[in-house]
Amino acid sequence: MKSYDAIVIGSGHAGCEAALALARLGNNTLLTTLNLDSVAFLACNPSIGGTAKGQLATEIDALGGEMGVNADKNILQLRMLNTGKGVAVQSLRAQVDKRGYHSSMLDTLLSQENLSIKQCEVTEILTENNIVKGVKTSFGEEIMARAVVICTGVYMESRVIIGDWTAEQGPNGFVRSHGLSSSLKNLGFEILRFKTGTPARVDARSIDYSKFEEQKGDENIQTFSYKTKIQPKNIYSCYLGYTNEKTHEIIRSNLHRAPLYSGLISGVGPRYCPSIEDKVVRFSDKTRHQIFLEMENASNNEIYVQGFSSSLPYDVQEQMYRSVSGFENVRLLRNAYAIEYDCISSLSLLPTLESKTVQNLFFAGQINGTSGYEEAGAQGLIAGINASHKLQGKKPFILDRSEAYIGVLIDDLVTKGTTEPYRMMTSRAEYRLLLRQDNADMRLTQRGRDIGLVDDERYAIFLEKKRQIESCEKVLDDILDKEKVRVILEKYDELSSILPRTARELLRKSRIDIFSVQDTFHIFPDVSREVLTYVETEVKYEGYLKREKILVEQMRKNESIPLDKNIDYSSIKGLRLEARQKLDKLRPLSLGQASRISGVSPADIAVLSIYLHTRK
Amino acid sequence: MTDDVIVAISTPYGKAGIAVVRMSGKGCLDIAKKMFTPYSKHAKYEPNLMILGKIDLIATCDKGFLVYFQSPKSYTGEDVVEFQCHGGVYVAQKIVERALSLGARLAEAGEFSKRAFFNGKMSLDEAEGVIDTINAESESELKSASSLMRGMLYNKIHSMTDTLIDIMSEIEVNLDYPEHDIEYETKENIASHVLSIKGEIDTLVSSAHQGRLIKNGINIAIVGKPNVGKSMLLNTLIGEEQAIVTDIAGTTRDVVAGSIEYNGMKFNFLDTAGLRETSDKVESIGIDKAKQTLNESDIVLFVLDVTEIAKEDMDISKLATGHNTITIINKIDLDICDEERIKSVLPQEILDTDILFVSAKDNVNIDTLKEKIYNLALSSSSTSSCIILTNLRHVNILESASNMCDEILNSYKDITLDLIAQDIRLLYDKLCEVTGESLDDKVIDKIFSKFCLGK
Repeated sequence: MKSYDAIVIGSGHAGCEAALALARLGNNTLLTTLNLDSVAFLACNPSIGGTAKGQLATEIDALGGEMGVNADKNILQLRMLNTGKGVAVQSLRAQVDKRGYHSSMLDTLLSQENLSIKQCEVTEILTENNIVKGVKTSFGEEIMARAVVICTGVYMESRVIIGDWTAEQGPNGFVRSHGLSSSLKNLGFEILRFKTGTPARVDARSIDYSKFEEQKGDENIQTFSYKTKIQPKNIYSCYLGYTNEKTHEIIRSNLHRAPLYSGLISGVGPRYCPSIEDKVVRFSDKTRHQIFLEMENASNNEIYVQGFSSSLPYDVQEQMYRSVSGFENVRLLRNAYAIEYDCISSLSLLPTLESKTVQNLFFAGQINGTSGYEEAGAQGLIAGINASHKLQGKKPFILDRSEAYIGVLIDDLVTKGTTEPYRMMTSRAEYRLLLRQDNADMRLTQRGRDIGLVDDERYAIFLEKKRQIESCEKVLDDILDKEKVRVILEKYDELSSILPRTARELLRKSRIDIFSVQDTFHIFPDVSREVLTYVETEVKYEGYLKREKILVEQMRKNESIPLDKNIDYSSIKGLRLEARQKLDKLRPLSLGQASRISGVSPADIAVLSIYLHTRK
Repeated sequence: MTDDVIVAISTPYGKAGIAVVRMSGKGCLDIAKKMFTPYSKHAKYEPNLMILGKIDLIATCDKGFLVYFQSPKSYTGEDVVEFQCHGGVYVAQKIVERALSLGARLAEAGEFSKRAFFNGKMSLDEAEGVIDTINAESESELKSASSLMRGMLYNKIHSMTDTLIDIMSEIEVNLDYPEHDIEYETKENIASHVLSIKGEIDTLVSSAHQGRLIKNGINIAIVGKPNVGKSMLLNTLIGEEQAIVTDIAGTTRDVVAGSIEYNGMKFNFLDTAGLRETSDKVESIGIDKAKQTLNESDIVLFVLDVTEIAKEDMDISKLATGHNTITIINKIDLDICDEERIKSVLPQEILDTDILFVSAKDNVNIDTLKEKIYNLALSSSSTSSCIILTNLRHVNILESASNMCDEILNSYKDITLDLIAQDIRLLYDKLCEVTGESLDDKVIDKIFSKFCLGK
């Protein structure tokens, strides 16, 4: 009988990170996949990053994950979103080559030491005394492992819907997973049914691009990975167009054939990713909706039509696509579709993403109710690290809400749960100013190094950046030449009665940037552009960052007070009934986590903290 | 467990000889020293010693004791300072306000006990009592939320927080969905919303003054030159022998208070020494105090003797300008009163006030006077909304919220949207301290209900 330290089920974005992390940390790991051709498949948009997701991708990279590196290898276009709105909300977004993304990730997996890959379908999780011991495949084979990470994405009992046509299959016609869901149900997991969708892919040769507005990438900007040294080519464009009243009329007159309205779809769809019919119904006053044309691959003519997802019948799809200006003769390569799938309630998980009830069983990615490649990758990485730590007897690795978007993501999942596919947004992060893309390495790379995932090359880059930052900080408070200060102030129209004396004081002026300070005073020699920007941000945001850090300190006080998992909440005098029930069900790990559960009031937390003291 | 400095009045509300204000937490002695000057130059802040001195308050002061208890030998187990001051709410509240302005925070219900418990100063039995207190507090909060005043305040706060959620959803959709064709809220629009919220907050804060009036009473100063019958008027108003009445000019040398309730409103009458130039040293202190009383009162009753209106009266009337004044022409029992003739000799600044002819001795027009005081008290509170803040904690929160608005309005032009977003969020959190709510997913819910987004 075959036996491994760990098995990862599913080779999507969560599965790849989990498997790589486990293998790189020295665990003999098996990655199972329903189809080797679907490894790291970008089932929806051909892009990585975007608002909040760009932060997630850089965090994965800073911890030693693979997503950023793999995206950088396949960039078609790179843009920095939100420039001008503040550094904290700037996010990278890359259009990537879909086939390239898949094949370079497959190459990485196949050259990874300690990692085996097998195309097979896992249909059952084997346990003994509520501890996982292996899996069973559809072939009937039992494979043993001391830890299992489940990353089935949208494949579990999935169903694809186009109008009144449905098929029991996964995305893009790939085979679905059948049976694993009931195995999980038998183990006591609550199964939810979620829904998502994707637009049609069209043939570039059938598009009149003159009717669309070209959107080019940004030159000279960083990539996701701190390891990537080459500047991507960044030569491809996206195109912006609009639906119109005619499109909407076609949709309205065919609504009775839309599965969402005919009752054929029961799954809960995400509000942030509505189908075009949903948009037309819910926002009936809008006369047009944006659509973006994005290249799927550099080498062919397949185009992704962002904003135009639908589950209307194929003939209606054709009509409505062709009603768009520039799409008069468009040919659909693949139809838009909706997909329903099984996932679990993330409330049954610990912050390590391990099951609360079945030991050594971990979950990551869309099976936990999230949406998005970056959200999946982040969970995969954390689940992989924690599975490894569990196997090796090390402490759990948990990032809190002030350390990373990853921390926000997982805390939201395991504390609040989600009733729709969960997408990361910057507004979910209350310590957003601390969680920037430009400081992801400063926040996390040492952590990644301590875990053992950050290799020497990446670590050396980190140390060099740190050295440069420190060299800048040393001269920030040096007294500058008064005359030159006056000159620079005049130039930027910032002259005031009190003259700034140091670079730090100068940089506090909103119109003065670090590059002009560098030019004028010839300070900060041999410092990279990236570091200069970082130092500038730290100075300009100083007051805000300080204030945010104080809030973090307050949050951490409760976070550091552990709650025993065997507390009998029903016996605690003074807790309100709702709080008792919620606490009893969720069994939070800390007082801080308890305080974020909806329905637990500050008075309940006070009662709980007194209870904890009396037990000491 | 935090150990920031908390402060509260420890003695119950109401009339008493002394009041005690307690502060607890790291650094409370430093705060206390900033508002206290010992009378003895050699005084040392040794633990458990009572030190006599001057308590410096905003625009006033009091004589009282400071006692310092050093951690862990104190009620809470932390450093504790207690002020013993003159009784009644007024001075004690001033001490609290001063401590707040120096960085202390208003204690929550049961917080001193809670700290005492956490620092091992209480037994398990007593600790259960603390749990009950906390629960009772949250339950009573729920109950009182249904009370009219509380409900109205909550509605008011909600309308502000709703606006903020709206603003936040506008900002956040701009930040999270930069590529959508949505008309994003400009910085100027955000600022104008903040400005109007600040206006509402300030209106509420100014109502706090009136809130205090309702809770602690309206302070009414009775002024006038000697022997116009001020003490008699006071006695008639309160219907008991509160002040000493003689017919020797200059008898009353202290501010003597008497209170009545009228239509549910509490009137505190402050008698004052006769206002006149004097060579008597003791009396001149009394006059200074009278002027001070006048400045701290909400309504001034300016009393004239109908038989003897003189230049001195005009001088005193000048002191009363700028106050809510009712001019009382007293002793109409002594004169066959021709109101028009008397009015013709009065200067314009007196004619501008509300004039009432009374006889304190024969109880003529006293009820009319009470009604006038009542109406003046109501109308002087400029609040158009009838919400009245009575809770100092709420006032404290709203004052910081108002300051936060100022900061946003001062800086918004120079900072980026990510920072403005954070300012607005903190402002929201601050306002929610009144209602005890949290943001949760309200902004995200708002975004999706309001905007059409997605791929």
